[in-house]
Amino acid sequence: MKQRILAATLALAAASSPALAEDSVFVGHLVDYTGPTSFVSKFYGPGVRDAVDYINSTGGIDGTKIEMETIDYAYKVPQAIANYKKWKSKGMIALQGWGTGDTEALIGFVAKDKVPVWSASYSGHLTDPTGKNPKTKKPAPYNFFYGPSYTDACRALVQWAAGDAKEKGISDPKFVHTGDNHPYPNAPKEGCAEYATELGLDVLPPVVVPLGPGDYKAQCLTIKESGAHYAYVGNLGGSVISLLKSCNTVGADVTYMGNVWAGDYLTIKAAEAQNYIFPTATPFWDAHADGMDLVYKIADMSGFAKDTKPTHHYIRGVCSAFYMKEAMEWAKANGGITGENIKQGMYVNKAWTPKGLEGVCLPSTWSSEDHRGSTVVSINKGSFEDGAVNIERIAEMTLPRRDDWVGY
Amino acid sequence: MSHVPHPRPCGDFRTTYSNDTSLFRTKVEGRIVYLGIAALLISSFFLNDYYLSQMITIGIYGIAALGLNVLVGFTGQISLGHSAFFGFGAFASAWLNNTTGIPVFLCIPLAGLMTTAVGMIFGIPAARLKGLYLAIATLASQFILQDFFSRADWFSGGAYGSAAEVVNFFGIDLDTDQSYFYLVLFWVVVSFLAVSNLRRSRDGRALVAIRDHYLSAEIMGINLTRYRITSFGVSSFFAGIGGALYAHYLQYVSVEGFTILLSIQFLAMIIIGGLGSVSGSLLGAAFILLLPQFMESSVATFVEYFKIIEIWILSIFQEAETALSIATEHARTIEQGKAYIKEMSVGAVIILFLIFEPEGLIHRWRLIRASWKLYPFSH
Amino acid sequence: MNWDLLFQLLINGIIVGMLYGVVAMCFVLIYKSTQVVNFAQGEFLVLGAWVCWFFVLKWQLPFVLAFIFAMAFMTIFGILVQMIVLRPLIGEPIISVIMVTIGLSIFMQALMNWVFGNSAESFPKVFGDETVMIGGLQVEMAYLMSLVLSLLVMGLFYYFFKFSRYGLAMRATAFNQQVAQSLGISVKQVFAMAWAISALVSCIAGVVLGLVNTVSNSLAIIGIKVFPAVIVGGLDSIIGAVIGGVIIGVLENMAEFFDGQFLHIGNLYTVAPFYVLIIILMIRPYGLFGTKDIERI
Repeated sequence: MKQRILAATLALAAASSPALAEDSVFVGHLVDYTGPTSFVSKFYGPGVRDAVDYINSTGGIDGTKIEMETIDYAYKVPQAIANYKKWKSKGMIALQGWGTGDTEALIGFVAKDKVPVWSASYSGHLTDPTGKNPKTKKPAPYNFFYGPSYTDACRALVQWAAGDAKEKGISDPKFVHTGDNHPYPNAPKEGCAEYATELGLDVLPPVVVPLGPGDYKAQCLTIKESGAHYAYVGNLGGSVISLLKSCNTVGADVTYMGNVWAGDYLTIKAAEAQNYIFPTATPFWDAHADGMDLVYKIADMSGFAKDTKPTHHYIRGVCSAFYMKEAMEWAKANGGITGENIKQGMYVNKAWTPKGLEGVCLPSTWSSEDHRGSTVVSINKGSFEDGAVNIERIAEMTLPRRDDWVGY
Repeated sequence: MSHVPHPRPCGDFRTTYSNDTSLFRTKVEGRIVYLGIAALLISSFFLNDYYLSQMITIGIYGIAALGLNVLVGFTGQISLGHSAFFGFGAFASAWLNNTTGIPVFLCIPLAGLMTTAVGMIFGIPAARLKGLYLAIATLASQFILQDFFSRADWFSGGAYGSAAEVVNFFGIDLDTDQSYFYLVLFWVVVSFLAVSNLRRSRDGRALVAIRDHYLSAEIMGINLTRYRITSFGVSSFFAGIGGALYAHYLQYVSVEGFTILLSIQFLAMIIIGGLGSVSGSLLGAAFILLLPQFMESSVATFVEYFKIIEIWILSIFQEAETALSIATEHARTIEQGKAYIKEMSVGAVIILFLIFEPEGLIHRWRLIRASWKLYPFSH
Repeated sequence: MNWDLLFQLLINGIIVGMLYGVVAMCFVLIYKSTQVVNFAQGEFLVLGAWVCWFFVLKWQLPFVLAFIFAMAFMTIFGILVQMIVLRPLIGEPIISVIMVTIGLSIFMQALMNWVFGNSAESFPKVFGDETVMIGGLQVEMAYLMSLVLSLLVMGLFYYFFKFSRYGLAMRATAFNQQVAQSLGISVKQVFAMAWAISALVSCIAGVVLGLVNTVSNSLAIIGIKVFPAVIVGGLDSIIGAVIGGVIIGVLENMAEFFDGQFLHIGNLYTVAPFYVLIIILMIRPYGLFGTKDIERI
């Protein structure tokens, strides 16, 4: 028995001693496990985390380890900025960010400090690196994200809605934006409404729905009475579940179109939603794609998928981490891993996918003029039927890269 | 209030009124304060950025807590909306600087004055209220101001918040912790000196009289409405200064920073520090700000030992490998609860202090000092 | 003017307001008999809902049984809170009492976040998908059940205070603690009882809200909405609290109506009650139906 105890203690010592690689780079990682967006961050955050662990266990960035510190900032912007400053003094060279509020607040800081950020905020405001569009508030040269921007996804949904309305014979389709008065739901509000008007949809005044669960019958009655046919859902998680449930009770006959974070099998299941439309930029967890093997391997290492099936937001996190990894590899081969070089590394290839993730991450292109990685949006329809969630892909929209759409 | 807030310890011999109202109770106390300030002045050369940033935040929150102490500790009014005024100061300073281009170091006191005005406006309905009704009215002002911040795009940048420039002092950018520390230290000294002096003036005694018994105070000729509104104004002034310092330290202001939770934290600071005690405000701010970090590190230590002990126990029955994996799993579960333990500790500390030490840290400190002074014949 | 919508929102306001009223009633009950302002009322409600949810989902109990167990649990919880947290503070100034319940609410909020998670969970269907049409508005069965339950609870309250021995003791204590004590009433028992009843009724309100909206920690916001309700209704009137709750419910929905139809400000729904609160306090510093204290030196 004594031997066993000794073995266990030794194993513990081996496991807990920090793997102090001589050569490492420091990366910050913001997550929200306790705040209002924890519903999706609980999947995206581990996606990034596990991917980085996997990268480190397979040799890192050509031998350089990624030292990543994960901090739960509960979706509070001031806390994110305070952490950013702390990390900066520790020599952070890149950041895996999270929300829209904090990422947009940090635009100026990261540009000054030359720290590239891969955010989980897909705000259109992050896509103009030079500020050439007069509508851009602030140029964002160091901001990247994987997938279509919120505005582009909303534009794709609106485009789909216009077609759908024609099919159904609705002569004057009406469109309404719902969401909290908060940077994240607000991000696509203007750009999307403009495009909807362009397509001949009637845009109604937006309806404010708080970013948390609650009883939203009053808001649903407003939506119902306004006669809207298509409602964009700008929130996520509990708020969306409550909204869909309340509106179902009220009997508002509206097609709900969620944003990228508002649609996954958990939301549809909890809300018992019917014909709920939402965009994606990755396959779902049980899809058959070449690159999914690597995703499963990453999840197996941490045992994340052991108990419950992750939502596809996990895969998004993996993509985000792998784009960062490949940009770092280029940087290392071309003058060392610095913020500036990593940024250049993102521009080198056109329509690229990280190695091993083919069919999982969409081929994306970033250039020094345009940070819209991808403008391809898959549109899905999900329903809860007989205790099971059925999701089918109904369309794929490729939006043009219009110059007047950069940055918003 | 049913109890005497600060019973005078024995061995405290003051025979004249001017003795009674002196800034420092003894010469030694005065010397200690001067020495302390001198030590702080040179400390920035020895401390690293982490400690400096902690001291900066303690100073900023300490100023705001001091303001609240004027309102709650001196005047006996309750405010559940202090963080809204703190926020107003932050936005006002950023707004002034962004729109008019007035140098930031002037914007900070100007923001304080603007906040005073707003505080007095909210103080008008509050002047007629007391106790619970006042608490609820200030709670409402918290929500109303918060809503204003998230909607007034011209003033606060709306939901996006607004950028606050770096403080520039005659050509020197105060953008490092080391330089910003001096700015905060300056305001801390000014504010604490001002409030200490307020307390020994006629106005200060009037406020205390209102707290102790407002009817008697009124009969003695103290204008209740005027003094209550004034005390709202004074308290808002310091909240505004604190907020402005906070804004330019973070260089960014967002409505999310100024929730009811922060208002509660301010109240917790002065209760834990000691109601009505000037130095207690700073003590309380330090306690509330350092508590979560202390909890974080102590949870981490606890998890480490817990893991080792659990492995020893488990490996009696199981293979080393399984024991390790089970213990790691458990450790991770506790680790994940860290954020919640930090929050819970704030709530628990408020409850425990109110039950066991209702007069705050400063009271405990006075007891310690008295027993040391009177050794070996302490009572 | 869209009369249909106005009418539907009015009905919705009354129904939701009744629930606010029930919670406000719990709040007033505690305030009236123990002079404690319970800022943790919202957390009590959420805890009740979570416990019931836990019994239904994890222990697989039938709903009615789980509901009864949850009520029993909350009753004991209420007594424990009173004994451990509030008893030491009897006679302390009001700010201490307010702060201790605020501390309690922070503590409970974090603990529930930890134990039950921070996402919204739904109850399995208890009443099926049934909704009832009232004046053109679909209303969930659970809300109707809550209406019936609240009326029942109010009736019981009335009977309890008017006719039962304990009710009389509670009224006497609320009127004057010292006199009550000298007449042989155990003030400690009365206090514990007030907290127990309040926690129990909160549990009912919490479960109903959970059935309709899914259980989540953000339901605790109702605990904040109670304040405008009690200020409107007066802090020492139980009937007033219910009326205040209904007024606030209607007010919110009317705010939504004018906001959505004409003003397009956005979140008038959430702040309107607070503006009304400030205005009422400016005109009547003791609330609409509250009694003015007459003080002597």
